[in-house]
Amino acid sequence: MSRLHIPFKYQLLIPMVVILVGVMIFPLAYSFLLSLQDYQFTKIGQQKFIGVENYITLFSNKSYWTAMRNTIVFVIVAVALEVVLGFCLALLLHNKATFLRGFFRSTLLSPMFITPIAVGLMFRFLLNSQLGVIPIALKSIGIQVDWFGPRQALFSIALIDVWQWTPFMLLLLLAGLESLPEEPFEAARVDGAEGWKMVRYITLPLMRPIILAATVIRMLDAFKVYEYVYAITRGGPGDATETIQYNIYRVGFIYFRAGEASAMSYTLIVVITIMVIALFYVLRGEAQSR
Amino acid sequence: MSYVIRKRIMSVITSIILIVALLIVFFPYFWTLLASFKNEAAINHPLDFNFTPTLVSWQAVVSAGIPRQALNSLIVGLVTVGISLAAGSLAAFAFSRFNVGGNPARFLVLLAQMLPPSVLIVPLFLIVYHTKLIGSIWAAVISHLTYILPLVTWFLIGFFDDVPRELEEAARVDGCNDWQALFKIVLPAVRPGLGAAGLFAFVLSWNDMFYALLLTSGDQRTLPVGIAGYWTFRGVEMGQMSAAIILAIVPMIILSFFVQRFLLRGLGGGAIKG
Repeated sequence: MSRLHIPFKYQLLIPMVVILVGVMIFPLAYSFLLSLQDYQFTKIGQQKFIGVENYITLFSNKSYWTAMRNTIVFVIVAVALEVVLGFCLALLLHNKATFLRGFFRSTLLSPMFITPIAVGLMFRFLLNSQLGVIPIALKSIGIQVDWFGPRQALFSIALIDVWQWTPFMLLLLLAGLESLPEEPFEAARVDGAEGWKMVRYITLPLMRPIILAATVIRMLDAFKVYEYVYAITRGGPGDATETIQYNIYRVGFIYFRAGEASAMSYTLIVVITIMVIALFYVLRGEAQSR
Repeated sequence: MSYVIRKRIMSVITSIILIVALLIVFFPYFWTLLASFKNEAAINHPLDFNFTPTLVSWQAVVSAGIPRQALNSLIVGLVTVGISLAAGSLAAFAFSRFNVGGNPARFLVLLAQMLPPSVLIVPLFLIVYHTKLIGSIWAAVISHLTYILPLVTWFLIGFFDDVPRELEEAARVDGCNDWQALFKIVLPAVRPGLGAAGLFAFVLSWNDMFYALLLTSGDQRTLPVGIAGYWTFRGVEMGQMSAAIILAIVPMIILSFFVQRFLLRGLGGGAIKG
């Protein structure tokens, strides 16, 4: 037989490569082409090539930069809170003396498994100024917060993210704590360290790469925030909660400007790639130190 | 203060913090469940607990589009996960055993899984538009493969790393070829990994709204899209929305208890060589 022989190890990859070329590589290339055209969903078949004009107009596009800024503020606030809360909870659940450890562990993780649109709608309901139980209960003790007002809305959305994704942080950090070697802790205990000192001088330095990796993974995911915005504010009030993923959705599917949306998504790919490179090096460093 | 007393106090504080955390996690579920049994008047008075429970919302939801949408989500999830497990397990085995493509290949798998859906939605929309799949659940399957297949592949690498090479070599001595050794010896050995990857991938497919919102329509919509439809600028059906939310999240919370144990092995460990 004169058939071309493909080694076994490459044969294994054929199905995945074929599928990913179809659903990912080809769309990405197509999207790059679109980003160089004046292409509108309302006028399919009438596109014209305009070079990098879509990219240039992005620089002066105010709503794009507002969305970028909102997204970055959101990611920093949400992920910082998630790291701190997740780490504290992980420390408590790592302690073998903690009461009902397994029960708390599996129930506290549940928010990360449910659909974000449901989370968004549940909190829209809970925090609604007319029929939400939280504002009404707060009002009865004299506190008034307009959760989705212009100043508060982005922060409220970040808190919703904290509710849903602190469990994920907890999961990663708890696993990290369980993988740490025993010896440094034994040695420190002999030297008389305990409590906070132990955490500060032994646990935190040992956990550094794991915390870093978990942070980057969460940041990458938080960049995609969309469902809460869709469920609650649709970018408003004004542009207070316009995030980048929502902005791309708006330009592409509300304004039908597919070319411009493609150009925006390519700038996002650059940001995401840089973050994944960072994550990759952190993970590799961890693998090497093991 | 003696050591014992201090320890006691610490464990009481720990329990209090964990109970508060548990209340914060469960309150939204509880409130949504409660609202699904309230009529509209009772929903408008959240602090009045003296209401008569009603099944009106549940009846409305069950006789509306929700069962069909749940079925759509189920089909999309099963098909996506089936394809991803078939293609992803072979690829993960290649990465684990032969380190094909080295770290750059693993990097690409990680990057593929991290790409935001907004990056792919415009071209995917046009592709399913031109292939006449727009609006159908198959458009959702295609879009879900973009993140589920890389995720399953990434997830399984660590599980394949754990299979001792001697098992395969023994199979080969017994006269198996490469494919037979893989199917008869290696794949059965990673069954827990395949199960966990499949369940977790199913959860992620079931939970997607972004792709499904833009690519499916009419009676082909998936459950998250259906839920979003209960609270729009056109009108609000709070009780029905609450019942639909409960239907969408409870199965996933139950599934999560089976996945949790394996999640870490899949998400991080062994995926990158030093």
